[in-house]
Amino acid sequence: MLRFVLVRIASALPTLFLVSVTVFVLIRLMPGDPALIMLGDLADDRSLADLRAAMGLDEPLPAQFLIWLGNVAEGDFGRSISTNEPVFGLILARFAVSATIVLAAVALAAVVAVPAGMLAAWRQDGALDFAVVGGATLLLSVPSFWLGLLMLLLFGLKLGWLPVIGYVSPGQELERGLLYLVMPVATLVLTEVGVIARMARASTLEVLRLDYITHARAKGLSEGAVLWRHAFRNAFAPTWTLIGVILGNLLGGIAVVETVFTIPGLGRLLVDAIYARDYPVIQGCLLFIAALYVVINLVVDLCYPLFDPTVAA
Amino acid sequence: MRTRALPAAAFAAACLAAATAAAAGGTVRVQLNADIRSTTPGTNRDFNTDAVVMHVVEGLVAYREDGSVGPLLAETVALSEDGTTYMFKLRDGVSFHNGAPLTAKEVVWSLNRYLDPATEWRCRSDFDGSNGTKIEAIEAPDDATVMIRINQPSALFLGSLARIDCGMTGILHPDSVKADGTWDKPIGTGPFTFEGRTPGQSVTLKAFPTYAALPGERDGYTGNKTPLVDTVEFLVVPDDSAAKAALLAGNVDVLPDISNAAQKELSGNGALQVLTSPTMGTNVLLFQTTDPLLGNVKLRQAIAAALDIPQIVAAVTDGNAAANNSLVPSASPYYGDVEKQGFAYDPVKAKALLAEAGYNGEEIVLITNQRYTSSYDTAVFAQAMLQAAGINARLEVLEWGTQLDAYTAGKYQMMAFPYSARLDPALSFDAVMGDKAKQPRKAWDNPAAQKLLDEAKRVSDPARRQKIFDELHRMAIAEVPLIMLYNGTEVAAVAKAVEGYKPWPASMPRLFGVAVAD
Repeated sequence: MLRFVLVRIASALPTLFLVSVTVFVLIRLMPGDPALIMLGDLADDRSLADLRAAMGLDEPLPAQFLIWLGNVAEGDFGRSISTNEPVFGLILARFAVSATIVLAAVALAAVVAVPAGMLAAWRQDGALDFAVVGGATLLLSVPSFWLGLLMLLLFGLKLGWLPVIGYVSPGQELERGLLYLVMPVATLVLTEVGVIARMARASTLEVLRLDYITHARAKGLSEGAVLWRHAFRNAFAPTWTLIGVILGNLLGGIAVVETVFTIPGLGRLLVDAIYARDYPVIQGCLLFIAALYVVINLVVDLCYPLFDPTVAA
Repeated sequence: MRTRALPAAAFAAACLAAATAAAAGGTVRVQLNADIRSTTPGTNRDFNTDAVVMHVVEGLVAYREDGSVGPLLAETVALSEDGTTYMFKLRDGVSFHNGAPLTAKEVVWSLNRYLDPATEWRCRSDFDGSNGTKIEAIEAPDDATVMIRINQPSALFLGSLARIDCGMTGILHPDSVKADGTWDKPIGTGPFTFEGRTPGQSVTLKAFPTYAALPGERDGYTGNKTPLVDTVEFLVVPDDSAAKAALLAGNVDVLPDISNAAQKELSGNGALQVLTSPTMGTNVLLFQTTDPLLGNVKLRQAIAAALDIPQIVAAVTDGNAAANNSLVPSASPYYGDVEKQGFAYDPVKAKALLAEAGYNGEEIVLITNQRYTSSYDTAVFAQAMLQAAGINARLEVLEWGTQLDAYTAGKYQMMAFPYSARLDPALSFDAVMGDKAKQPRKAWDNPAAQKLLDEAKRVSDPARRQKIFDELHRMAIAEVPLIMLYNGTEVAAVAKAVEGYKPWPASMPRLFGVAVAD
């Protein structure tokens, strides 16, 4: 298994390199540069030239890229053009915040959605199925920012139960920190639970049609045993892949939720950096997110044998 | 807003009390719509950075409420006969946040630091000769006097020192910089000290207990700036709806800049105060006069006549602002009867001008962005009115960085563009005037007008400057290199318990002279 992991990581390196080059070139093709945006309408030629030189923007592009790549290989992602903070530390700090919310939300969503989807499939076309599919579709259609704002207005403003703005890390103050997490996590749970439920339902339906399920029932097994011991293990694989994709998506960008709830997360960092053309931060974030995808896919693949013995370990 | 008018003796006692006793107390929480970039005045900055840093540092001179320049750390400013030597006599009894007294030594150190290219001061090009004025000498004849000599007379020298985006040329104590030369934190003379910040979330300032306030009333960034709260917390809340909800829930006390829609909604709320002020920012429609189509003055005049500007302005600002076709801001002391003359909405005349111009329905692209609602809404209305007048105008909505790029390169036909406040009319004209060959972003390239503008920058006599601004305005209306629409309004929403908060034409939030009732 160790060999498997190492081979996977090694084969991801060319991908990460390609991502770096693409990102580097694309963001510099965008009109506007960080110096211009910083100075805005107050820019005059001299200040603009001075600032561009100070930011190292006047070096030839290949030189800029090689310098950056060389530094990255040593773990130095450079410094933010906007705030001069070291990029790597900045990314890690913001990621820790986003990850807390995303992991909690996806875990909760899965715990709710997978059983719901499976039960809906088990009682296909019944009242439960109708409720689950209807509910899932409704939640799928609702934009996360709208849901977030509604929660803010209800629980923050009208009822006053939860804080409207700000963020306290649960690592620092557990109780207060959890209060700040409730609404963003709830918003994400509601937006993801629909997707996961529908996938769980669809794959369970597929599996329940198969001969071996009929065989298990004929043997005299209880429905519970049929569902859990036989159906779940096979039905869960596609849902598990989906959860991996969702995690990858969300860990890289819940910018909207972060903006609404004033969470200092990775998504907002990336969006703000793009608007400010903060090249080191953009490059660092996207490389980090690409690496995240690699790791998540690896973990997802490694977990398959746990519930599907037909997949070789 | 509560103003405090005190008789002289009681006033002196109050001043002493304010200088020696702690501030009245409490915390005021203010929204920032984005995190600050740094704590260094005038270098790595944007609007939000200035808003915070201007509470901590003070310059020799500062902007008054009406945009004129008044003394702050200087007691008096004397100008030599030939207009090149400024003598700043420093005020007595002013100290830095670390307790050290303000002397000429720290002033000279600060000024030299700003002029050092390594500091990356945003305004260096206004003082090193690149833009005309050059500081030739900075000396301290004695502990309480600083002399600055420049190469040629300039009406804008003091204004440039006072400029907010220059950090007010804030006087810093050398301990603001570490022994290795890197920045530590701002140690200034302002009413608040820099306490700390949580990046991405908040910045905290504390009242300076021995702040030496000027007598009288608060007046822009000068006058009496006594801190009346213990703590100011700037909270980063980028989303407008979240900020509004936070204000209503009591999680934040001041929203310095709310949208028109929010203003309508919050105006009726008895638990809030909604306060407005005109600003000196300008909102214009730029023309590219080197464009084959728009190079024709008749077409530009036709476009001006086809727009019902008062209606556009009323709609875009919800009646908050009035139309102003002059580059002299309506809140400026130089705004007079001449400046009130402008364009008239005349669809019949527009049609005649279009015929004269030989316009055949060619497409004209009007660029705008969604970052500044003023620009976006203006462009939408303008395009509709132009189409109605038979002018084939098409909207192109760009991301702000992209639009800035097009603006700087001069690559556009028409553009809705917002200019930040410039507190001297010469600077408002300067923003749009210049040699297009050297500075493609300048909209108005007219050598005769340029001569007049250069004189306005040199000559300090207000009567002469008024005549120049009047003439420039007439030329701008005749030639139509751009259409100036309106100066903005700043609308702030503030909790009822906050006393003394007042928006002003420089659009900067001010938390000195502000108290929070229990």
